Amino acid sequence: MKYVSDYIVPIGPEGLKIVNTGAWRTRYPVMDTEKCVKCGMCFMYCPVRAIIRKEDGSYEITFDYCKGCGICARECRVKAIAMENVKEGDE
Amino acid sequence: MNQRETIELLARSEDQISPGISACVGCNVELTLRTCMQVMGPNTIFAIPPGCMGGVGVVGWDKQSGAKIPVFFPLLDNPASMLAGIKMHYDRIGEDVNVVAFAGDGASVDCGFQALSGAAERGDKIIYICYDNEGYMNTGYQRSGSTTKGAWTSTTPVSKDGRGGKKQNKKDMPMIMAMHDLPYMATMSPAFIPDMVTKLEKAKAVKSGLVYLHVYNPCVTGWGFKSDESIELCRLSVETNYAPLFEVENGKFTLNRSLDNPKPLADFIKRFKKFRHLGDEEIAALQELCDSKAERLKNLASL
Repeated sequence: MKYVSDYIVPIGPEGLKIVNTGAWRTRYPVMDTEKCVKCGMCFMYCPVRAIIRKEDGSYEITFDYCKGCGICARECRVKAIAMENVKEGDE
Repeated sequence: MNQRETIELLARSEDQISPGISACVGCNVELTLRTCMQVMGPNTIFAIPPGCMGGVGVVGWDKQSGAKIPVFFPLLDNPASMLAGIKMHYDRIGEDVNVVAFAGDGASVDCGFQALSGAAERGDKIIYICYDNEGYMNTGYQRSGSTTKGAWTSTTPVSKDGRGGKKQNKKDMPMIMAMHDLPYMATMSPAFIPDMVTKLEKAKAVKSGLVYLHVYNPCVTGWGFKSDESIELCRLSVETNYAPLFEVENGKFTLNRSLDNPKPLADFIKRFKKFRHLGDEEIAALQELCDSKAERLKNLASL
């Protein structure tokens, strides 16, 4: 069997199954980098790993797969993340 | 492992699961799965029986699979025995591979129990992770052997005047598995990731038999709470002693978090829609059960 994927996929010759979960979002997190103390709680608890750590130790929210659950905003100790509603017509 | 080291490890290692899987918004089992497989690493073969994490696309459908490492889709009843065979093959050809099951409570506590108990008794060298969300959440919130007494499920409905709910007590699976005299048994919670990572590292190092890890995961959709409360409620389940964190190494019980001065169980129970109909009397009965279990655990840990 020929695998198209870069990964070893024993059942699925066509590769990695990726669902576009970013489209589910009804709210999205906004990080206030001034307030952020770089503790990494949001990174540790994000269920979809949408928050990434950069080289300098700061954290960035990516929106490709973020489902907008709001866990990061709730778990942030210094309340540096706020949830805002996705408006109609937004990407 | 402390929090800084944990974050370092998680930032360094690659996520073994597809970035987009269709788990519910705010699902803490998704977090558990990603963390477990990240710590297990690329040298892993795992299996997910039917259940939430199978249903969200990790095991693959449509000629694709949702994991970057080999993943199998056993039956609801046989993940442990199937993986035991796989592990035996790799032992025979002399390759050291982590063989991991990631099964729900239905596939561990009810249907797959015979296979799991058998594998534990034979000492098959697999790591069995059970995510306990107290029911068959993937198929519409039916009751399982792990559902808390009094809970609403779609097969234990509640009438308008608040009668009904599950009539039986929850099966104490961690204790049942501890009594199999395993080399390593531990309970984990997604709210305590550093503790979880430490235990997974320990589990990887065990080479003498089956490792059982039990994760308590409140379910956003099935239990009825808001998605952002997901981790907070996991933490509360530990802080109320309802799902205490402990480990058993070759019969020696260790508490990972003190059981003294717990929060009242009502703080936890009253947050969920599935317990909304419970009266003070029923909550008091649950509190009593929880206290007696905590007391027993303290005694076991002091031996």
